[in-house]
Amino acid sequence: MNPSTTVQTTVDESLSAAARAQGRTGRFHLPSRGERRNLVLGLLFISPWLVGFLAFLVYPIYYTFRLSFTRYSGFGQPTWIGLANYQRMFDDQVYHTALWNTFYYVALAVPIGVIVAMVLALAMNAPVPEVPVYRTILFMPSVLPLFAISFIFLTLLDPNQGIVNEFLREFGIHPPNWFGDTRYAKIAIVAIAQFGAGQVALIFLAGLKGIPQSLYEAAMIDGAGIASRFRNVTLPLMTPVILYDLILGVSQGLQVFTESYIITQGGPANSTNFYVYYLYANAFRYGGQMGYAAAMAVVLFLITFAIAILIFQTSNRWVHYDVT
Amino acid sequence: MTTTKSSQHRAEKRTRIAPATFNRRDLVKGAVGAGAMTFALGAQAPMIVRGQSKTNVTFWTTYTDTGLKNLTDIVNAFNKQSTDTNVKIVQIPPAEVTDSSKLITAVRGGTGPDVYLLDRFIVNERAANGLLEDLTDLMKKNGMNPDLTEDYIEFAAREATFDGKPYALPFDTDVRALYYNKAMIKEAGIDPATWDPSKGVLLWDDIKATAAKLNKKDTNGNFTQAGLVPWFDQGLPYTFGFSWGGTFFDKSKCEVTPDNDKIVASGDWIYNYAKDQGVDAFQAFIQAAMKPGAPPQQNPFIQKRMAMWITGDWSIQNLATYAPDIDYGITYLPVPTKGMNSTTWAGGWSVVIPQGAKEPEGAFKFMKYFAGPEGQKMYTKASSHVPTLKSVQADKSLYSGKHVFFIEKLLPTTKNRPPLPVGAKFWDELQTAWQKIYLNKESAKQAYGEAKQNTQTLIQQFCPIT
Repeated sequence: MNPSTTVQTTVDESLSAAARAQGRTGRFHLPSRGERRNLVLGLLFISPWLVGFLAFLVYPIYYTFRLSFTRYSGFGQPTWIGLANYQRMFDDQVYHTALWNTFYYVALAVPIGVIVAMVLALAMNAPVPEVPVYRTILFMPSVLPLFAISFIFLTLLDPNQGIVNEFLREFGIHPPNWFGDTRYAKIAIVAIAQFGAGQVALIFLAGLKGIPQSLYEAAMIDGAGIASRFRNVTLPLMTPVILYDLILGVSQGLQVFTESYIITQGGPANSTNFYVYYLYANAFRYGGQMGYAAAMAVVLFLITFAIAILIFQTSNRWVHYDVT
Repeated sequence: MTTTKSSQHRAEKRTRIAPATFNRRDLVKGAVGAGAMTFALGAQAPMIVRGQSKTNVTFWTTYTDTGLKNLTDIVNAFNKQSTDTNVKIVQIPPAEVTDSSKLITAVRGGTGPDVYLLDRFIVNERAANGLLEDLTDLMKKNGMNPDLTEDYIEFAAREATFDGKPYALPFDTDVRALYYNKAMIKEAGIDPATWDPSKGVLLWDDIKATAAKLNKKDTNGNFTQAGLVPWFDQGLPYTFGFSWGGTFFDKSKCEVTPDNDKIVASGDWIYNYAKDQGVDAFQAFIQAAMKPGAPPQQNPFIQKRMAMWITGDWSIQNLATYAPDIDYGITYLPVPTKGMNSTTWAGGWSVVIPQGAKEPEGAFKFMKYFAGPEGQKMYTKASSHVPTLKSVQADKSLYSGKHVFFIEKLLPTTKNRPPLPVGAKFWDELQTAWQKIYLNKESAKQAYGEAKQNTQTLIQQFCPIT
C-alpha cells in the first residue's frame, strides 16, 4: 500500500468515528449549536448579496413567470388567462421571424466570436516586449459601450460615405447597403458584436497562460511546427475556456438587442427584429402585452437552458480538462 | 465689575473645558448632525420655495430642433403669465412614435412627468392600458366641456377620446401634400406652372415618369440626385392607401383591413416603382435622413438632391429655416386614376397627464393654455401646422403664403388613421409590410395579408370597439 493512501484511510476512519461519537449517522444531521451560529453568521455576512439576489433576481423571475399567465399592461390588475400567451407564440408570425433572426445571429456571432477572441488572445500573448501596449490597443474597443459602438458602426457602414464601403469600392466590389438591406443587416450586426471580443480574449489569454510551457517544448522536440503546436497543444487545452465562452456567448447572443434598437429599429422588413427586441416591443410599445412579453421571457430562458445543456452534453467529446 | 470678571471667568472656563471634551466621537456626532441638518434643510428648501411661489410642473417631449424650440416658446409664454404654475420642459430621447417605454417605466417607477406630449393616434392605446388619467373631472373643474367635439375638430376629438371619456387635449394637426422643387422639375422638361394646384390633380404614373427622368447616379451606382423616393418621410401605407381610396378598419366587423383591394393596389404601385427605379440605390440615398431624430439637414429635398417630397404642412417652416433659397411648389397628393378626388390624411399630437402625476391640477392649467387658443395660435404661426381648435382654425389671420392651401384646399377632405387600442401594433405591422413591399421582398397582397393577421390576433382582445 502506498503511504499516502494509508494516511487518507486513517483520516477517513477518524472522521467517521467522530461522527458516530456524536450520534450522527447518514448524510443529514441536525447542526450543532456552534454550526448553527456559524451558519447564521455566514448568512449575515453575505446578506447584502443575498438580499440583492432575492430582490433583484429571484423575485423578478418569479414575477415574470406569474405574469406570463396573465394579460397585463403594466397598470391596474393583471387578468389571468392561463396558457393563452404560450399558445399565441405558435401562431404569431412575427414571433417566429424574431426567433429565426435570433438563431441566425447566434449561429454566426458565437463561433465567429470564439475565433476572433482566440486570434486576439494569441496576439496578446505574443512574446514581444511591447505586448502590454498591444493588449491595451486590442482590448480598448471592449471598453466602449455597445450603444456607442452602434453609432460608430452607423457611420462606418454608411452606404455612401462609410469608410468600409469606400474601401470595398477600391477593390471594385459593389458594396451593400449594410443596414438597409435585409440580406446584410444581420451580418452587419454580427460584425458589430466582434468589437466586444476583447473581454473574452482576456479570459482566453488567461487560459493560454495556464498551458505549461513544457508541453510546447516537448512538442518542439518532437518536431511540431506552429500550426501543429496550436492544433495539438493549444487548442485541446483551451477547450474548457472555449466551453465557458460558448455557454456565455449563446446566452448573451440570444439576448441581442441594443444594435437593432439603435441602428435598425428591427428593420428593414423585420430582418433584425430579434427575440428580445420583439419582447421589448410587446412590453413597452404594444398596449397591454406585458404578459405576452413575460411568456416570451420564460420561453427564452428555457431555450437558453436547453442549448446550454446540449452544449454541456456534447462537451465530454471535445473538452479536455486534463493535461495528461 | 465683579460681575463682568466672573462672567469672563466663566467664559474662559468654557473655552478651556470645551477642547478638553471635544474628542473623536463628538467630531463624528457633530458631522452626522451637521449632515442630517444640511440634508433636512436641503430637502425642505424646494418645498419652502414652492410654498412661497409656484407649483412645478414637468412636461416631457421627444421633439428636437425647431419643434422643441416652438414648444419651449409656448412654455415660456405660459410661465410668464401664470401666477401659480411653473412648467419645466424636458426633452427625452427621440424614438419611434409608437415607443412610450421611457414614459411607461418612469410612471411605474413613480418618476413620471405631469404632462406628456403624445402622438394622438396612440392615445386610445395608452388610455386602454391605464397609462393615462381620465381628464373628465379636471375639465369640468376648469370650466371645459368634457365632450371634446364641442371645441375641437371632430377627428382630433375622437382620437383623444377613449371609451367615451377624454384622455388628451388635442394640440395640432397636419396635412400631407406633394412638394416639388420647381427648378428641378424644369430639368425634366416640365413647366412648373402646369403643376400648380389650380390646374388640377396630378396622376401618380405621371409623377413616376417625371421622377425617372431626374434620377442621376454616380460611377458607383449611387444616386446623386433622385426624382422622388415615394416611401420617404410621409410616403407611408396610410398616404398611399387613402390615395387609392382604401379604408383601414371595418368597425362593424372589428377588423383591420389593410388587405382590401384598394390598399393592395397602392402597394402594388409602390412595389413596381421600387422594382423599376432601383430600390437598393434609393435606400442608400435616403438612409441618413430616415433615422429617428435625423436632423433636417440630412433631408435630400433640403439638400436639393430630390425633386419631389411627400410631406406635410410643417415642412414649410423647415424649408424656410434650412433651405430658404429653394423655389418650390405644393400640390395635392396625386391620384391613381384620372377623375378621382385627391385624398390626404392628418395626424397630430396631444397633451396627456400620465397616471401618478404629482401635480395634475397644475398640469391641466398648463394643458388648457398649451392646447387652448393661446398655445395653438403661437404654434400655428411658428410651425405652420394646423390648429385643432375650431375657433383658432377659423382665424384666417394665422395663415399666410403656402400654408393657406393646406387649410383651404386640403383640410376639408382629409382623412385620419383609425384610433384603435392596438394603434401602435397596427402601425408597426403596416410599416413592416410597407418595407417588404418597397424592398420587393413580398407582394403587396402577401405583406398586407400578414399585417392584417398579426394585428387581428391582438385586436380581438378589445372588440367590439365603440
